Amino acid sequence: MKDELNITNKWICDKCQESLVLEKVKVRYLEGNFEVELLKCPTCKMVYINDDLALGKMLEVEKGLEDK
Amino acid sequence: MDLDKLLEIGNECIHSEPPVCVASCPVHMDVIAFTSEIEKGDFAKAYKIMENKIPFSRLIGKICDHPCESKCVRKDVGGSIKISELEKTVIDLGYDAPKKAMLLPKTKGNIAVIGGGLSGIVTAVELDKKGYQVTIYEKSSRLGGSLWDYEGKGLDSSIIEEELLLISKKGISVFFNTEVNEENLQTYIEKYDAIYLGTGYWSKEYDINPDTYQSDIASLFIGGKIQSKNNSVIHCVSSGKRAAVSIDRYITKTSMLASREREGIFETKLNYKIDTVKPIDVVKKTSSIYFENEAKKEAKRCLKCQCNECIDACVHMQRFNVTPDSYIRNINHNERIILGTHSANEMINSCTQCGLCKEVCPVGIGMKDIIHDTRESMVERGKMPLSAHDFALKDMSFSNSDYFSMVRKQPSKEDSKSLFYYPQIAFCGYTRGLYKGSGKTGFLFYPGCQLSATHTDYIGDIYKHLVGAIKDKDAQNDVGLYLGCCGAPADWAGRVDLMPQSVEKILNVWKEMGEPTFILACSSCTSTFEKYLPMIKTVSLWEVFDKYGLPEVAIKKGKKELSIHDACATRHDTQIHKSVRSIVKTLGYSIEELEFSKDKAKCCGYGGLVSCANKEQADDFVNDRITESEQDILVYCAMCKDAIVKGNKRAYHLLDIIYGNEIDQAVPQKMPTLSDRQNNRKRLKKQLLKEIWNEEVKSDLSNTYDFTLNISDEINEIIEKRFILVSDIEQVIHNSIKQKERFFNPETSDYLARLRIQNVTYWVKYEENGSDIVLKDVYSHRMQIVEE
Ligand code: SF4
Ligand code: SF4
Ligand code: SF4
Ligand SMILES: [Zn+2]
Repeated sequence: MKDELNITNKWICDKCQESLVLEKVKVRYLEGNFEVELLKCPTCKMVYINDDLALGKMLEVEKGLEDK
Repeated sequence: MDLDKLLEIGNECIHSEPPVCVASCPVHMDVIAFTSEIEKGDFAKAYKIMENKIPFSRLIGKICDHPCESKCVRKDVGGSIKISELEKTVIDLGYDAPKKAMLLPKTKGNIAVIGGGLSGIVTAVELDKKGYQVTIYEKSSRLGGSLWDYEGKGLDSSIIEEELLLISKKGISVFFNTEVNEENLQTYIEKYDAIYLGTGYWSKEYDINPDTYQSDIASLFIGGKIQSKNNSVIHCVSSGKRAAVSIDRYITKTSMLASREREGIFETKLNYKIDTVKPIDVVKKTSSIYFENEAKKEAKRCLKCQCNECIDACVHMQRFNVTPDSYIRNINHNERIILGTHSANEMINSCTQCGLCKEVCPVGIGMKDIIHDTRESMVERGKMPLSAHDFALKDMSFSNSDYFSMVRKQPSKEDSKSLFYYPQIAFCGYTRGLYKGSGKTGFLFYPGCQLSATHTDYIGDIYKHLVGAIKDKDAQNDVGLYLGCCGAPADWAGRVDLMPQSVEKILNVWKEMGEPTFILACSSCTSTFEKYLPMIKTVSLWEVFDKYGLPEVAIKKGKKELSIHDACATRHDTQIHKSVRSIVKTLGYSIEELEFSKDKAKCCGYGGLVSCANKEQADDFVNDRITESEQDILVYCAMCKDAIVKGNKRAYHLLDIIYGNEIDQAVPQKMPTLSDRQNNRKRLKKQLLKEIWNEEVKSDLSNTYDFTLNISDEINEIIEKRFILVSDIEQVIHNSIKQKERFFNPETSDYLARLRIQNVTYWVKYEENGSDIVLKDVYSHRMQIVEE
């Protein structure tokens, strides 16, 4: 999920009006616990996930864990 | 799950059984591979295939007495394949001098081969290959024995000589002009680890085991003519090969008999059917042997006999390239592994449980029940992938919630008083039916969740018609209505935890209503009731229509020809097949039966929740099905119609023609979306309660929002493909506006919001123009993101 270092990302947090920053985020599914770098709002911590990530790598990892 | 029993079933599968020609060839030359290569024109490969099983194939292939041919199944449809003639041509066109083999150390033991004739030299080279030091004792001055009888009669002396050189090239020592007889045999027995005796004649009769060629002297093995007492070349070769196996086992002290049942000629379980095979005559030779093209043509006549009945009929097996033998081995492995990837999960969730394989299998193997039991076992062990059936199960729980589920008796006579006036009572069957109300629910109309969701507007009419038609002939029995889901999705998903409560619920309603007969309109309901609720008497809506009469609708009689796609779930229900056909004909349509119909019906791809678990596989099913006929398709299951329409083929539900709804040929046919379906169910319940029972659904159960959602066709397609409901999208947007939990893109002015609903996080991208929301994208993931 590393390749999500999206420098050209234009999204800002609507509530906090902050630009997003790349930070380690915990993700969980079934028995799996990982840390990945994702973009998030530095203030409210809301994490940004785009369609490529959700339907690509994340889906792949989900399927992999489901078949474990 | 009893995996050992399962493996036994797998062993019954005859997919890998050899054709009768191979089973009748004493050395089991792979005839199918052989003729296939010839057909392709690859004679070198064909020769390699011969070489694989036939020692000295360059010689033997020319003189084999071919017991295979008399057994070939082609014999009564044009004549047996000329396997031996093909071998001759293959030798001439495909022989390639063997590469110089590396000489391996010969350390496993010392063997004497007595007699350098055919069986002797075969035994010698076979043992040499296995790593033995072999010495041949030959009483004459040359090797080859009876091979020389064919000199000039099939074999050239130069080639015999060339081939026999192999013996010395391999480093096998030969003593010529050395006669061994009964008198001096003992010295050899003492000197060598084992002896092979293949002299063609021997003065003393030994007891010889016909399976191992071992004599009553443990280290003495006897084969060839002494043992077989016949002149068959290929038997002689076979006995030499088998004796070599025995000697190896004897010396390495392994079981002499284990798994050798199928050496030599054996019976294959394959019984290849020739009923539909067109006769093609044997290709005539125009010279002493076949020319290349003649050989190709003759090889093409070979039927490549193999049992492929199920895989030919099933696109699921085709997609995963399995037949039940290998399928079951995969399941076995999947069930047994503790750590590591359950790589068969996807396959197991891609079977529609349609049952066709069992119908076509000559030995009656069916995957349906096996797949069902496997899925249950996966659920029990917590190994069923969550995402595979999640949407369908949520949809099922929606259908069994108050949004849709309801049970009502026929409106009582008392409650219907206001209707009993002229002309209503005279001309409306429904009103008359109410007037005859007995209070005893003899029938309960159960349209099912999918028909109600996709053919919503028929349900009320059908109900009224049933009341009128049934009460007219059977005044005793009122007709009630029950909306809900039969539990088929839980059954397909192997949800042992959900199924009992679903069954229980239906059973209770049945008891409370005084044990009425259920009128079923969905094929999946029919099979679910049969399987889980055998105590409940059921009848199909189509049978009721056929028996009590069709609704009177002013329809222009169709002149069309339709192909009937029978529902796989009702493949054994001949009564349904009959009723449906009778109705179709009554309505003036003609029928073009599909090749796979009635008990051989093919699945539309919805069965087994495959469209939910593996979209591409479901597409295979529908594509396979719709190419079977040019005609528009007639179905009597709502999900079949859904699948076929989505496959871009026109489909009529039986109700469409009963109610005279012609399909507009000019516009593409459309089916309700997943969200539409839930809304339709809600709407149906509300409407029926109001119209028939005069009840108002007090609180509208659905939410209303103060924005309007605009969804383009393109986005709608994405939503459907990703199994997302509009109601969930609305929740995300609502939350994002209220909580300001959303991202904003100043360049495009789009918002992007997320919300976790149950076990899924939904992301919605939209544009906001006042209260107008334009949907730009929707996606979801199951992984949970910890926002901290
Ligand atoms: S011709 Fe002989 S070697 Fe060839 S397949 Fe037939 S029996 Fe076997
Ligand atoms: S048709 Fe071909 S595969 Fe079948 S028995 Fe004859 S040679 Fe063998
Ligand atoms: S999809 Fe049908 S025919 Fe194919 S394996 Fe499953 S039950 Fe058998
Ligand atoms: Zn923020």
